[in-house]
Amino acid sequence: MVSSGRLGRAAAIGGAILATLVFLFPVIYMVGISFKLPRDIFTVPPRWFSELTFDNYTSYFHQARILPRMVNTIIVAAGSAIISMVAGAMAGYALTRMRMRGAGVMAGLILASRAVPPIALVVPMFLVARRLGLTDQYITVILAYVTFLVPYVVWLMRAFFRSLPKELEEAAMLDGCSRFGAFFRIIVPCSMPGLISTMIYCIILAWEELLFALILTNDKAVTIPVAIAGIAADTENGGLWGPLAAVGVLTVLPVVIFALAVQKYLVKGLADGATKG
Amino acid sequence: MSAVSTSSSRARASGPARGSGGPNGRRRLRLGEPGTAWVFLTPAIVLLAGMLLYPIIYTVWVSLSDFDVSTFQPGDWVGLKNYEAVINDPGFLQSLKVTGIYLVIALPLQLVLGFAIAFLLNVAWRGRGVLRALFLIPMVVAPVVAGGIWRMLLDPLWGVVNYALGLVGIGPIEWIGDPTLAMVSLILIDTWRWTPFVVLVASAGIMALPSDVYEAARSDGASRWQTLRHVTVPLLVPVIAAAFVVRWLGAVKMFDIALAATKGGPGQATDVVNLYIYEKGFRGLEFGSASSMATVVLMITMIITFFLFRLSRYLENRW
Repeated sequence: MVSSGRLGRAAAIGGAILATLVFLFPVIYMVGISFKLPRDIFTVPPRWFSELTFDNYTSYFHQARILPRMVNTIIVAAGSAIISMVAGAMAGYALTRMRMRGAGVMAGLILASRAVPPIALVVPMFLVARRLGLTDQYITVILAYVTFLVPYVVWLMRAFFRSLPKELEEAAMLDGCSRFGAFFRIIVPCSMPGLISTMIYCIILAWEELLFALILTNDKAVTIPVAIAGIAADTENGGLWGPLAAVGVLTVLPVVIFALAVQKYLVKGLADGATKG
Repeated sequence: MSAVSTSSSRARASGPARGSGGPNGRRRLRLGEPGTAWVFLTPAIVLLAGMLLYPIIYTVWVSLSDFDVSTFQPGDWVGLKNYEAVINDPGFLQSLKVTGIYLVIALPLQLVLGFAIAFLLNVAWRGRGVLRALFLIPMVVAPVVAGGIWRMLLDPLWGVVNYALGLVGIGPIEWIGDPTLAMVSLILIDTWRWTPFVVLVASAGIMALPSDVYEAARSDGASRWQTLRHVTVPLLVPVIAAAFVVRWLGAVKMFDIALAATKGGPGQATDVVNLYIYEKGFRGLEFGSASSMATVVLMITMIITFFLFRLSRYLENRW
């Protein structure tokens, strides 16, 4: 963009590196703590290099049933993301590309539902789930997550579908494809980058959700964020820094690998949303 | 995290569909369309009606009734009694105030910081791609984990932040223990978690800036400050507005970080409204007043969001 003096350039690069380090530090610190013994954590000055231990990952994980909870989180995140993608992408397509009365109103309503605070939904969800005997089950949490994922998918995919040339499905339909055929055979394959990045956002959002899970689960279906909130509440006793950091690392690691692997899609999805919206 | 297309989307929603009349043949082809469109919309409508609309109506119903904890069901209709109690509840008013303070400080701070860092990250050099990728990392740290880590970092006794400040002769500072500083901590953590998102959106906006305008500005002898003030910022206004709306939509849901880092304390210093309602409903089992509070929050949020959408659309059209 703006070309500047060599000094200004160096300062900007230095600033960028500094900002990145500052923002990364808490994550690095968490990784460090997760491999330390309590005696090396609770000490002043901090010990940067100390004896390595895997205790935080092994003994505590068993006791707090971290792995089953990880599996719960994966099931809930994948389930809610898939349902939301199907429903949201179809709705987003209808709202951008199809003739219908009331499309503007429908789009407005679905987008406005993005602003509904989850706290306005949790009381009935809890009461109804309790009455139907559906608390602590995957399906309840999955359906709860759909409330914030579907509007989100509609929103992102609308921007994406709008950027596709109209001739695509017109050609398909002149060749005798139905709307459904055109959508699933032509539009969906052409929208893969958008669908992938949107799906990843959905998984990340579901992966880290706390409020619904806190209220709708208590034992079998407990997700990792709920477990972490429990451990964090215990930190007052002082002892659980290591385990908290270890669980934190395990939650962040898959998402970071995932996000970096598909970084190109991820950033492109956002860029398109921002500029072509 | 999410993309940014709030403002204009509703305005244009009906545009492409309506504008595509085309020649006669094409029109005949689409004769059956309105019906098919509703079929495409059905799954989303069913899910949202069942899981979003119905719970909202249920919440309003509970808020107008005398909730019976023994049967766990809404009992007699009591009109606005719960609302009266809620509006006179100093705890609720305090939590609204706390949420307001958090929003008014955190959102502008994150936008300014995010755009500033995006400009720094925009300078072309070999490491730029790596830095951009690394900047994504805080964005995928679950908020509850962020709260947990920062609680350790800010610990008055063992925390690294106080240790570092001690080296330059400051402190020890009671980050979580002091009411004002607890709010500072909450905003700090939230800013750490969310600024990278603003950076991402801002970077996309900056990359999309037209370069010819800058050549024109340079040939007219504009200084760098003038270019920023009169060219860059006006061009970025739609992106700034959109980023603000998206951040607003996320920030009104603030819950996880407060729960993990401060638990609303000390006292009620960081007791954001979502946390307060959660405690009332699910620890105090006061579902009636919790529902009234949730309804009040829902209405406030919808009204402010509506005006933000309008404002953001206005800004987009003006520039």
